[in-house]
Amino acid sequence: MFHVSCLRVSSSLRAARCLVPNRHAAPKAVTCSRHCMSTCLHGKGTGQRDANFGGLVYRTDGSVLSRSCSTSRAKLNCWNCQQLLHRTPSFFCDSCKAVQPPEDGTSYFKIMDCDYTFTLDTQKLQTRYLQLQRTLHPDNFTQKSVKEQEYSESQSALVSKAYKTLLKPLSRGLYMLELEGMHLKEGTDSVAESHFLMELMEINEALDEAQTPEQVSKIGQDTKGKLADLTEQIDAALHQGELGTAKELLTQMKYYANIEEKCCFEDDKLEERASHPNIIEQDTQFASGQKIYTVLFKVIYISWNILC
Amino acid sequence: PPLRPTPSPFPPLHVYLLLKVVDHYENPRNVGSLDKNKKDVGTGLVGAPACGDVMKLQIQVDGNGKIVDAKFKTFGCGSAIASSSLATEWVKGKSIDEALQIKNTDIAKELSLPPVKLHCSMLAEDAIKAALSDYRLKQEDKKKSANTSS
Repeated sequence: MFHVSCLRVSSSLRAARCLVPNRHAAPKAVTCSRHCMSTCLHGKGTGQRDANFGGLVYRTDGSVLSRSCSTSRAKLNCWNCQQLLHRTPSFFCDSCKAVQPPEDGTSYFKIMDCDYTFTLDTQKLQTRYLQLQRTLHPDNFTQKSVKEQEYSESQSALVSKAYKTLLKPLSRGLYMLELEGMHLKEGTDSVAESHFLMELMEINEALDEAQTPEQVSKIGQDTKGKLADLTEQIDAALHQGELGTAKELLTQMKYYANIEEKCCFEDDKLEERASHPNIIEQDTQFASGQKIYTVLFKVIYISWNILC
Repeated sequence: PPLRPTPSPFPPLHVYLLLKVVDHYENPRNVGSLDKNKKDVGTGLVGAPACGDVMKLQIQVDGNGKIVDAKFKTFGCGSAIASSSLATEWVKGKSIDEALQIKNTDIAKELSLPPVKLHCSMLAEDAIKAALSDYRLKQEDKKKSANTSS
């Protein structure tokens, strides 16, 4: 598990994002229990316009100014019946059963009801995904109001995205780093050791030169082994809260995942070639024709543009 | 009455812009390797962590400091391959200092890369610089060993 301090910071950040005004937040009424409000207002007694409690600053007209720090999310109400939504996240209202719009800042782990760890039970994830889509899919809302159809669309899309992100270790790890505010560098890797890049080059070249499906699957197996190894290391790093190490390892994983993807692609391509030897001839037969066509096309296109 | 514009039977302009990238992708120039152990060969090896692309660019420099040959090997998206292919084309015939002037913005402009692929041109520029600095290191080593032996 992550350090509790990390979790607290990230949950407050997420909660803060929750209250940024946007299209989804508009129909919801952000309220607090009336008792709290009245005691605060009476307590101040000096005629101050703002009530401040639990880190939340509310104006007396009910609009929310800012949130300095909070460990729990603001309570939200159903857009339909105004009843309090108890669960996080709430897909449907408990009282009127109306579908709710997705809350901003809810983590994918919360949506898919999974523990916030790198090791994940993918079977459980899949079951939860199917269970959610059975109720949330827009096909179930064709007879409902436009608003409900819109909400079900966004909920369904969000659940799909959450499922895809959490399914694979690489995307899961990257998402976890993102929640902690870390992103993979956009630029080039100067930190990566050159012998690591050389190793990658050699694997890529070997894959490129592979002639038989057996050679490709051997490379695929080796890569899968490396990926499994990295998964273990990343899990250990995240358990100990070593985000920097996890980031480096996930970067390595990205390179190997690309190779694995290519292996599957090459495998299919080589198998196809093996079963249809004529295809190789066709490739060369059309190559020259395609080249001439491309040149002709360019000539015609340029002259057309000049003439018109 | 205003004339209606005749619909062009040809695809819009951006397809033509794509042709340059497709051309480099389907007919890449200078794919291959040079002997990295040779003293006049500089090898640049760079990787992009965000997309997992790997790029190797090698240059061969003659006695006058002019780049006479360049080869590349890139594993990644079409834009990365096109950027490195173009980079090898450009460095050929340039001196080392001239090659250092090549900017990723020039590569991106020449290939009309969309914003999401700009990092590929950055990768190509870094590969050129890495190859040049590797060559310079080798030359310094050569000088050092020449000094110590003499």
